[in-house]
Amino acid sequence: MTDSHLTRRTLLRYGAYGAGAAALAGTAASWDRLTGADIPGRDDGSLVVATLGPAYGPEAIRTLTEGFKKLHPDIKLRINAVQATDWSDFFAKILTQIAAGTAPDLVYVATEGVQLFAQRLGVALDKWVKRDAAELREYFADVHPSLVESMMYEGSLYQLPVEFNAADMYLNSQVLRRAGAGFPAADWTRDDFTDLLRDMKKSSGSQFTPYFWTNRLWGGVVPWLFANGTNLLAESKAPGGAWLWDGFYPGAERQGRGGGFRWTTPQATDARVEESYDYLASLIQEDLCTRPEGGNGQNLIGVFSTGRVGVTPAGGFWAGGLHLAGMQPGSFDVQYFPRWRTQRMQFGAAGYALLRTSKRQDEAWEFIKFAARRDTLMRLFETNQTTPARRSMLSADRYRETGPRHWQVFYDTLDKFPDTGPIPAPPQVAEVEQVLLKHTGTALASRRSVAPALRRMQSDLEKAMERDV
Amino acid sequence: MTNTQIPAVRPSRPAAAPVTGAAQPSVRDRGTRLLATLFLAPTIVGIVVFTVVPIVGSVVLSLFHWNVIDSPSWAGTANYREVFTDSTVLVSFRNTLVFMVLAVALQLLIALVLALAVNRRMPMWLRSVFRSAFFFPLVLSAASISVVMKYLFNQDFGVVNWVLGQVGIAPVPWLTSENSAMAAVILVYVWQQFGFSFLLFVGGLNNIPKEIHEAASLDGATGLRKHLHVTLPLLSPTLLVATVVGVINALQVFEQPYVLTNGGPGDSTRTVVMVIYESAFEQLRFGEASAVGVLLFVLIMAVTALQFRLSRRFVHYQ
Repeated sequence: MTDSHLTRRTLLRYGAYGAGAAALAGTAASWDRLTGADIPGRDDGSLVVATLGPAYGPEAIRTLTEGFKKLHPDIKLRINAVQATDWSDFFAKILTQIAAGTAPDLVYVATEGVQLFAQRLGVALDKWVKRDAAELREYFADVHPSLVESMMYEGSLYQLPVEFNAADMYLNSQVLRRAGAGFPAADWTRDDFTDLLRDMKKSSGSQFTPYFWTNRLWGGVVPWLFANGTNLLAESKAPGGAWLWDGFYPGAERQGRGGGFRWTTPQATDARVEESYDYLASLIQEDLCTRPEGGNGQNLIGVFSTGRVGVTPAGGFWAGGLHLAGMQPGSFDVQYFPRWRTQRMQFGAAGYALLRTSKRQDEAWEFIKFAARRDTLMRLFETNQTTPARRSMLSADRYRETGPRHWQVFYDTLDKFPDTGPIPAPPQVAEVEQVLLKHTGTALASRRSVAPALRRMQSDLEKAMERDV
Repeated sequence: MTNTQIPAVRPSRPAAAPVTGAAQPSVRDRGTRLLATLFLAPTIVGIVVFTVVPIVGSVVLSLFHWNVIDSPSWAGTANYREVFTDSTVLVSFRNTLVFMVLAVALQLLIALVLALAVNRRMPMWLRSVFRSAFFFPLVLSAASISVVMKYLFNQDFGVVNWVLGQVGIAPVPWLTSENSAMAAVILVYVWQQFGFSFLLFVGGLNNIPKEIHEAASLDGATGLRKHLHVTLPLLSPTLLVATVVGVINALQVFEQPYVLTNGGPGDSTRTVVMVIYESAFEQLRFGEASAVGVLLFVLIMAVTALQFRLSRRFVHYQ
């Protein structure tokens, strides 16, 4: 008689076969998910635009996609909002996408990455700008040439700036009143600034620090270097660019313009650089200023809005940021960065860069123009989360709800100080920034540590600049 | 009548292989192997795809210059030479080893003391509360914890310095001084990680027969002596596992120093994995990053092998 019962071994064997078959079937069924083929818009001929996620919420994405669809119903658009903590993190993720063979057509790039993208990945916009000159005349008339020049590389234009932020000085009105100090004059000096910090310190408790700053390329030590008439790297202008200046800007505005900035020889051991660091070290020793801490200033809004900080460098983006944090328009204000040997200030700008790998370059150009239109930017920058690149967009109406009272400072930083320039960002920017941050932390430990730290910074910067990206 | 009984003991294999060739496995043996292979296949495929291939890929990539944008170009040992002459990389290895020694020692000590404390007689519900509380940080994201800790340790506005200020202690530049940044990073790391070792020790202590402790008590052993001469030797296999896992994790530390100090001030808290990340994804030097990765892999293997070697002398199995 045959035993009809399955043995345990046979049961296990068939179980294994079944599990194997299920695994294969599952893999086949989820193949689109595993390969990312189910991502909406992927490989469907859409124009792909990578933006910095935190700055582009669903509302902004809708504004861009719906607005562009009205103008160009024949071009499919997909906005890829890449979540990143800062620009270098964002660029790292974009480069990873490029390495994976899923490069976007356009990337939103700030000053930090303009030259890196222009040198290695970008397409010059010159031929399209020349072709559509009549259409673009209104745009250039509304945008300061310094912003445009910061988007040029070796004579060619790579991006149309749509926003910028200059490092101006924000002041907490409540702290000013507590110190019995008035709003500083536009031409205030470094010494006026130091005196104000001392007054603030005297009138506040131990849990108060007059001056707070974040250790980074934008708004950290560099504004002080600019004010002291120096820079981290020797700065010059590339030749060329006349095709743009002669075509779009009147004589006075194109004076001294070139084909973009060049940042070359490191000069960390320059006497003025050391002097700037000495000054900041002295503020720390006097307890007038925080020790430099890395990061993106996220914790700054909280301490500024609650009056535990009196002064800090920030751009137009803070008008919206402080309003969101609950600050009333009159409770803070903004002034130019103080004068030292000069009153040259720094800014960072951003716009869309077109990648060489794009097979839809003409469609991408149409998006670049659309993104720089006034009506697009009006819808996109409603909450004052940045400073629009278009001068005409800055008005009393725009800042009535959020403040600050002296909102004109944002664009006047460019208009009244034509030498105001971009942060030094050569193609090797990632390493330059890392070197700056790490040695700044060491340099400001005490006044004696400034010179040795700057010597090490110089040596590391030289190595970084020798490297080809 | 034919005897069809299967012998209880299978005949042993011949001492030497037959001259005609190797013995052929039976159909049943082949079936067993196929079955075993099928069961092991998902794990083997996973290990090959997600561990072996990336390791081999890293070794290969370490012999090339590659910046993502251009095609890779042959570098030979240039990346390794670069790594050994780069002061930042060397400092990061030193930092990582210092971090590993201090963090693992502190983590094991705290976990052991708390496990011994929780192992005493107490209501079951209270024991569960302690276990959950100590294990809880481990299930949180290290990056999130580090962001919160960064606020707490802020020199000017942090709660830690505020509390110290209440008892008359001057503010400590936790994250902005080379003297204290590593200590702060270690504290945050240990606070999050000790729960794992704690659970291992609790389990290990439960496995020690009560009779042995009772015998030791009868022989006159008291508290500390009992722990030193009875508990610790019997807990040594668990200690070995906790140490090995702790060391491997500590050598790969990244999130805490990256978020808290970004490797600073200077390079004082820069770790090897941070250097790998920065070289690859910030400076686009994937070849050098892979070379550092390979060296870290070798270091972890060496340290782990050393621990197992030493365990022969110090670990006692019942």
